[in-house]
Amino acid sequence: MGMDAWAMLPEIVLIAGALVVLLSGSFLPRSRQGVAYGIATATALLSAAVAPMTFGAAPEAVFAGNYLVDTTTQVARIAVTGATALVLLAGRGSIAGSPRESETTVLVLLGAAGTLVVAGAGDLLVLAVGFLLASVPLYGLIGLAGTARAAEASLKTYLLGALFGIVLLLGVTLLTGLSGTSVYSELPVALADAPGGAVTVGAAAVLSGLMFKAGAVPGHFWVPDSAQGANGLVATFLTTVPKLGAFLAAFRIVEALPDPAPAAVFVGVLALLTMTLGNLAAYTQDDPRRLLGWSTVGQAGFLLVPVAVATTSTLALPALLFYVLAYAVTNAAAFSVTLALPGFRSLADYRGLARRHPALAAALVVALLGLVGTPPTAIFVGKLTVAAAAWQGGAVWLAVAVMANSVISLYYYLRWIIPLYRPADPAHVEPTAPLRVGAARTAVVAAALSLLLGVAAGVVFSVL
Amino acid sequence: MSATAALWLLVLLPAIAGALLCLLPRAERVAGVVAVGVAAVSLVLAVVVAVAQPTAAVPFIAGAGFDLRVDGLSAILLPTVAAVTLLVLIFAAGDIREGRPRFYGLMLIFAAAALLTAVAGNLVTLLFAWEIMGATSYALIGFWWRDGHRLASGTTAFITTRAGDLGLYAAAGAALGGGAGLGLAALPDATAGWRDVVAAGILVAALGKAAQLPFSFWLSRAMDGPSPVSALLHSAAMVAMGGYLLLRAAPLLESTGWADTAAAWIGAATALLLGAVAVAQRDVKQLLAASTAAQLGFVVLAAGLSAQGAGVAHLVAHASTKAALFIAAGAWLTALGTRRLSSLAGAARRWRVLGVSASIAALALAGIPPLSLWATKDAVLTAALEESLWLYIVGLAASALSAVYAGKLIVAIWRRPDAQTATHYDEDERGTRHVGALESAPVAVLAAGAAVLGMLALPPLSGAVAQAIGQEPAAPGVWELVASGAIALVLVLAATRWRPPEPRWAADWLGLELAADRLLVRPTLRLADRLARVDDAGIDAAADGAATASLAIARRAASLDDAGIDAAADGAAAASLAIARGAASFDDRGVDRSVDGFARRIWRAGRDSARAQNGQLHHYYAQAVALLSVAVVLLLVIER
Repeated sequence: MGMDAWAMLPEIVLIAGALVVLLSGSFLPRSRQGVAYGIATATALLSAAVAPMTFGAAPEAVFAGNYLVDTTTQVARIAVTGATALVLLAGRGSIAGSPRESETTVLVLLGAAGTLVVAGAGDLLVLAVGFLLASVPLYGLIGLAGTARAAEASLKTYLLGALFGIVLLLGVTLLTGLSGTSVYSELPVALADAPGGAVTVGAAAVLSGLMFKAGAVPGHFWVPDSAQGANGLVATFLTTVPKLGAFLAAFRIVEALPDPAPAAVFVGVLALLTMTLGNLAAYTQDDPRRLLGWSTVGQAGFLLVPVAVATTSTLALPALLFYVLAYAVTNAAAFSVTLALPGFRSLADYRGLARRHPALAAALVVALLGLVGTPPTAIFVGKLTVAAAAWQGGAVWLAVAVMANSVISLYYYLRWIIPLYRPADPAHVEPTAPLRVGAARTAVVAAALSLLLGVAAGVVFSVL
Repeated sequence: MSATAALWLLVLLPAIAGALLCLLPRAERVAGVVAVGVAAVSLVLAVVVAVAQPTAAVPFIAGAGFDLRVDGLSAILLPTVAAVTLLVLIFAAGDIREGRPRFYGLMLIFAAAALLTAVAGNLVTLLFAWEIMGATSYALIGFWWRDGHRLASGTTAFITTRAGDLGLYAAAGAALGGGAGLGLAALPDATAGWRDVVAAGILVAALGKAAQLPFSFWLSRAMDGPSPVSALLHSAAMVAMGGYLLLRAAPLLESTGWADTAAAWIGAATALLLGAVAVAQRDVKQLLAASTAAQLGFVVLAAGLSAQGAGVAHLVAHASTKAALFIAAGAWLTALGTRRLSSLAGAARRWRVLGVSASIAALALAGIPPLSLWATKDAVLTAALEESLWLYIVGLAASALSAVYAGKLIVAIWRRPDAQTATHYDEDERGTRHVGALESAPVAVLAAGAAVLGMLALPPLSGAVAQAIGQEPAAPGVWELVASGAIALVLVLAATRWRPPEPRWAADWLGLELAADRLLVRPTLRLADRLARVDDAGIDAAADGAATASLAIARRAASLDDAGIDAAADGAAAASLAIARGAASFDDRGVDRSVDGFARRIWRAGRDSARAQNGQLHHYYAQAVALLSVAVVLLLVIER
């Protein structure tokens, strides 16, 4: 038991940190809430730091196989806690002085912990708990901004989350009922004699529930609204972190089925729909956050591709793990830029940015080109291996879709990049909100990290 | 220093220096000196590497390393790329007057990518270099970003060549599938079906970069970039790399049995049609651009014929010739402020060194003996004659056209100026009326290259070249040489007497850009617009129609479950009719009553809840549930 608890140290740090922040935030005066915020940021960093310590020190499955501590979970821990730390570093300016500052950070930490439970779950019931733990904080977070738009987005997300949560529970019930067990590793044997149709329905229901977390079709509706309506810190968090767990959990589910073929087709079709819809719908957006929201939907499609070839390609798992890391840092960089410039709510506001804030503009260019998939950024390597995995797994159509979609996506990212290098329009009224230095620094750091990850891809792949 | 270290340094030195220059916008003074120095060191390194021919590799991604190797083909190309880069950067020292650090930085990164392309040993390395080359070319063409149309031109070039680049991704995927690995040399060993995909992918990517038909139009737009950019991109680097890739892939093309023929004919057709386009141009840079595509056509033709020795000789000789002409055109543009051929009258008389050097290059372009392109082109045409008489005739006609447009250029710059000449000065930019040594010297060096590099295609050097790239020695036939030399002479002389025709179809580049716009760009944008509207604004009819129809599919498929494939097909057909009807209108007539009733209810619910302010959440629910039900039902049908 002691060994088991030690293996869950990063999760324990997150939850304990959340409790400390909650208590300290309640007792600190409004003017000193920064202390609680600092504790939250330190918690995320500490959790990221202790994650490698448990590497190899613990058995791969703990608590009777209910929780898995393998490479996948390790990558999830580094990506989730690292991205959470980046979000907190970038977001201070957008909630400083608000009456809900410490509550926001508590919910962010709890949401990150829930995401880790989703990613590491080795049992359908633990997965269901993780789904709720990751979802419930989100509803609150979105609504905290207090505006009409945020309230609407919060309600929409809540109702969609309720629907997909029920679908997930339906699937869990079906699979558990058919097999008599809920542990992933026992499912292939236990389900071998079950009626194929019922297993397919159950698996599809569980995977559909996860699509809500992943922000993929058909559970994507909340993403653009929330990205636009929520507070900046929250928008960054909920488009970056929660979905990381969903992809890894979906990968584990597909792997655990006795006959993965129908589920793989199901995920493949959803991947195709997601990337196409996300990319095309981003074309006409003018609000940068909403554009990024749709772009994250498109990225979710790319991330689903390795899940669709989970059992037919040896490259699938490394490809997914690398893409998860690459996506987390690149998306955090892009959103951090919008956090640094809170007043900029249309692409036209970005005209002439390169002249006024060259480093910030460069970070944005790196992040956006990264999202397109231009070398040497990390997502380029991610897309390449994802397409290679699809090809190797026999899903040629998915590989073609990945390539075609990455070309389509170029257009709307360029719509944002080009104004940066144009002279400012004298007729255009500049937003007056000042630059937030913390967010700008985080954006630069995250963009540099995405470049570093792309260049050092060889080293990273050797441990995946 | 070991040869392997020299190889790494050859690629990394310009890349790092370029990146540093881009990051130091204040280094206005030293940027030029640093860049020229780096380019000179690169040239030395290129020669060292060409002699020693080392290989190097480090792990990069799962399944393939970062693999550099120098063989005979790249050994010939590397010094060419490095030398042209050096000369162009020297010219730029006199031509670029603001934003120098960014300019030189991008040029060096671009050159590094081009050098990396030339030494890439596998598809992953090639893709990496290829993408950076594309991205930096975009930044360079749009260098004067204050002018919107130049930026748009950069975008056109980038998106067009990038669309072609997809072929390279497809090729990489197919190479993995084919089991032969990603190494360029091993590609012909892939299993038959995959091999065809690899060849097709490489063909498309290379044709896009080499501005062959039907991609040629981006080259016309790319002329909006600064003159040094045109001089480098369209002589020794970017465009030439497309031709180089095909030469490198010639064994693969041959092994498929169809790709080599396709490449040969596309090359010949481009040489002929873009030759005609060049004849019809009245703008000097446009003429040179069209002629670049046409001359690369000969290289592609050579690749299709597996005549790699002749092809690489033509590539190198053309690089020197065209760089000289682009630099000259740039110098005149800076001095006179015009790109109009008719306004260049007397330019060669006014600045003699530049004029004579440019004329030598133009005569080489025309194919006048004993200058370079005369011999290299005929080496290609001799190979074509062995393959097919028709291919030879098309190639010969194309080389005749090159004599015509080169003649047109020579006449334009030596004609005595008249009263009309000065009226168009300064229409493109403000002219300085000055040509310095920094402009003329590189042209003179390159013109010397244009004069003598033809020896690469003639004995005894042709034998050495063939040996270096592992081929049987071959030389152009004597009669072909005499015939084409005579044709070129006659046509250049004719151009001094008569004005060549300028048909409209050729003058606007065969309407290629318009065609791409109509056939690809607009439909894509329209589709995107529609999809965004469907999803975002939640147009009642479309969303409800889709939901209704999907439910209809679900219901039908479920009720017809037992009846087998026939019934399922029936259901699908009926359901698609229902989709069409439902999306088109909600008319009472002609639609199944139950579907109609359901649609009305949903529509009414939609209207009511829209009033109740909570947006289109019901649409979200309906779409999500419908999609999930359809997916599950389809899965069950497939499984059965």
